[in-house]
Amino acid sequence: MKRRDWFKAAAGAALATVARGQEALPKHPRDLVFPKLDYDPPDPAAYRRELDSGSVAYLVEDHQLPLLTVAVTLRAGSYQLPPESAGLASFTGGQMRSGGTTTRSARDFDEEAAFLATQLSSSIGSTSAQASVNCLSQNLDESLGMFFDMLKNPGFDPERLEIARARSLQGLARRNDRLEGILGREFSRLIRDKHFSTVQSTQSSIQAVSREGMQQLHARSFDPSRMFFSVSGDFDTDDMLRRLNEALADGWPSDPVKPAEIPGPSHEPKPGVYVVDKTSREVNQSHVRMGHIGIQRDHPDVFKVGIMNSVLGGGGFTSRIMTRIRSDEGLAYSAYSRYQPGTYYPGMFSAGFQSRNATCAQAAAILVEEIERMQQGKVTARELDTAKNYLVEIFPRFFATAGQVAGTFASDEFTGREKDYWKTYRERIADVSDDDVLDAAQAHLHPGNLVALVVGDKAAVLAGNPDRPEFSFESLAGDAGIHSIPLPDPLTMEYPEA
Amino acid sequence: MANRMVRTLLCALLLAASAAGQRVEVEEFALDNGMKFLLLPRTGDPNVAAGWISKFGSVNERPGVTGVAHLFEHMMFKGTQTIGTKDIERDSEIIKELDTLRAQIQTERAVLLEKERRGLIDDAGNPAHRSARHTELMEQFNKLLAEQRELIVKDEFSQIYTTNGGSGMNAGTTNDFTIYFINVPSNKLELWFWMESDRLSNPVFREFYSERDVVREERRLRTDSTPTGKLNEQLETMFWMSSPYGWPVIGWPSDLDAITRAEAMEYFDRYYSPNNLVASLVGDFDVDTVKELARKYFGRLENRGDPPGAVRTREVEQQAEQRLTGHAETRPQATIRFHTVPDAHVDEPALIVLSAILNGRTGRLYKSLVLEQQVAVQAGSGVDGRKYDGSFQMGGVAAPGKTPEDVEAALLAELDLIAREPVGERELQKVKNQQLAGDFRKLRSKFGLMLQLLTYEALGEWSNINAFSDRIQAVTPEDIQRVAKRYFTETNRTVALYYTKEGSGPPGRRRPGPGPPPQGGPR
Repeated sequence: MKRRDWFKAAAGAALATVARGQEALPKHPRDLVFPKLDYDPPDPAAYRRELDSGSVAYLVEDHQLPLLTVAVTLRAGSYQLPPESAGLASFTGGQMRSGGTTTRSARDFDEEAAFLATQLSSSIGSTSAQASVNCLSQNLDESLGMFFDMLKNPGFDPERLEIARARSLQGLARRNDRLEGILGREFSRLIRDKHFSTVQSTQSSIQAVSREGMQQLHARSFDPSRMFFSVSGDFDTDDMLRRLNEALADGWPSDPVKPAEIPGPSHEPKPGVYVVDKTSREVNQSHVRMGHIGIQRDHPDVFKVGIMNSVLGGGGFTSRIMTRIRSDEGLAYSAYSRYQPGTYYPGMFSAGFQSRNATCAQAAAILVEEIERMQQGKVTARELDTAKNYLVEIFPRFFATAGQVAGTFASDEFTGREKDYWKTYRERIADVSDDDVLDAAQAHLHPGNLVALVVGDKAAVLAGNPDRPEFSFESLAGDAGIHSIPLPDPLTMEYPEA
Repeated sequence: MANRMVRTLLCALLLAASAAGQRVEVEEFALDNGMKFLLLPRTGDPNVAAGWISKFGSVNERPGVTGVAHLFEHMMFKGTQTIGTKDIERDSEIIKELDTLRAQIQTERAVLLEKERRGLIDDAGNPAHRSARHTELMEQFNKLLAEQRELIVKDEFSQIYTTNGGSGMNAGTTNDFTIYFINVPSNKLELWFWMESDRLSNPVFREFYSERDVVREERRLRTDSTPTGKLNEQLETMFWMSSPYGWPVIGWPSDLDAITRAEAMEYFDRYYSPNNLVASLVGDFDVDTVKELARKYFGRLENRGDPPGAVRTREVEQQAEQRLTGHAETRPQATIRFHTVPDAHVDEPALIVLSAILNGRTGRLYKSLVLEQQVAVQAGSGVDGRKYDGSFQMGGVAAPGKTPEDVEAALLAELDLIAREPVGERELQKVKNQQLAGDFRKLRSKFGLMLQLLTYEALGEWSNINAFSDRIQAVTPEDIQRVAKRYFTETNRTVALYYTKEGSGPPGRRRPGPGPPPQGGPR
């Protein structure tokens, strides 16, 4: 985070060239000479404090503005709940913020926060609960008081619950409206099938959400000895530690439950082409995504895979997929691949685009061809350098603000990331060779085992482009065949027989 | 490139802008060619948020080339005489030949379009209808493209920034302006000067026709394929009767299929002269160094004459309420809109405070419509102050068992109340407190600050970022009542009611839709 003084060198260079007049402009950016930039990432140990309760906090002071943020993360989530309770976790998180506290009515809580211009939030996702407060430092006493009141004593106002329930039910009814919504949902189901990450709430599961259920989930989850705090902005570290220790000392639910391990998926995806026919409005564009199971974050190849995917389709305009599908052929606005390593279990590889119905088959053929090509030869030096340089050069951006520093370190410890991850990050990127990228493509891309999903106008997509009859989904699917997935009833999530 | 986001972003900025206590001190300077720079050094991480803006957007287009401002923005990433090609001479020849062929193809296509107009064929795009010459021309065209592809250094513009750690590179086009932005490592700031001044002094629109197709896909993605995209577009064209704000930023499909490279170049010559441009840097840099770099690089841009004057066609005064009734795969909802004032008009602060009183968790709309009456599940409002005109909009999604008409009535009742009774002291102070905190919050992001300075400058002047806050703090309950009475009249109103389309909801829970939209009345 130290500011490096390179200005003098830069100014000197600029003035020297200007003196020679307009002719002196370098002909190409490669002729530019840049001053060196030394940058050391912040050291987590410098900000880490253990709290009396056993929880951990990362505190990063930054006094440029009279604002501060306190955020907390802990283990809780829908992964702990049976499918019939789908929705309970997110309702609990949302209602902790919306439903007032045992000492303040929902309305008073909202009014007080609004008048102080203090921002409070709370949510529970699939594997973690998060809450935060951002306030002017002059309002720290009141704001932090409200934050811990929300965390310790949520009121779960019944009226607010019913309002949220009505809104949620209305939203459920509309979840077959958007192509991208259907695509994400069905693709996850094809890759993971029955796993907490694919569970959908239903009319009955939302109707089953109760105040008691939320109170129980809160009581078992908010354990003051298992919290991860990140504090950033205009505060004094010792003063804040005193406040946190005081707040964590008492008033919490009495019988928290030790969180269970997060289960990985066990499904073996079945390769093939799958189509959801969505023709309830006339749209000349369909969405396509294909992929397979990926790797976990602690896999030794994770940096090689990252560079490999950047060249393939993760690097935006400079990636192969974008170049061919968008820039060469004008077939799509967005075309991508993602190789997202999983934190707790293997993640997913996926690649996709949106294109007009007639050209989906052509774009899909290009996608498969590019995935295969990654396995057939080394990437070029230019491709490798671009992908590696980018990640090395933007490294300081990961720690650009006090909030990012505190948040990243708290999250790292919460998820159990290896300790020297950031310290060795740039070296590990720099060590990736073209052979490594080829090895990674051969080990971790499986073009013969792709699950391909099309959401859109089935007949038009399968008919293809009369100008380019050589491309079709039939030939792409081969023996694995084309399978139809019906749209489920949006309220029960029951799938009619195809 | 992203584009609509900037409009949304701007609204957000206007709602959360600057402060009595917290002034933004910008160093401003201009080159001899008229290009202006807004410099704001900030310590912190070794990075500079850098951007520039052309003070023109889709409002400056004309029928026939709608979408050209945005298409042009796409072309700015396609390279220059230096960037993006191995052989600029052959590349330039091919570009000319491609244009000639395209014009001939267009002549053939015009015949098919004429037949489609008369109903003789159903789709002018179907290859079965093409003449032998048409097919032959297309083959020649594709052959030349293949030759050109051998000369192109693919996406070199992006590649150079990427390999040097430029991040978040993008651009956006709105009705009023076009903005280009990126983050660069502070030791590589000279690269930004090189790259941006290069593409502003000699852009080459290679791959023009495939990029036009990309924009067509973008239109399909953002407008055509979303449940309410086309209805919202129809609402815009209805709301703006004479103003060019009525056509979509992304352009009409027929124009996108036909805009020529020459028309895009014309747009560049007219609207990208350096005296129409403003650049801004926020972050870790030295002001004197940057001034030298600015002269060295952007000094080469040629001033191509006086800036174009204000858009001539103004919105005419609305004479009667307008209503739109649509059916879509969406929740039942109501939108109400009024013509108000352009950005930085003296009435704008009162309208913004009024909207803030209605909005949010403790705003009147949520408390009244959602919590008390339970007529809606969500409701909100916003002010959209553009360069030449503006509007105030409010809307809500009907609660189960309620209709868009119920929401409309409840929304209008809240406006009546605002006009009838002065807002409370504490209610007003709450909004002002949020404004003051927002003045600090908006300074947290250098990138956000850079975008704000540029957009303020494009619409008026950057210093409005400071003046704005004082104006908000000065708003009185009487001001709010006065603007409510002045603008929220029946004849100045446009109402859009969206119903859930038959057959798109879950079985057995459908509500009967309304009849056809009301007919008759004065025409």
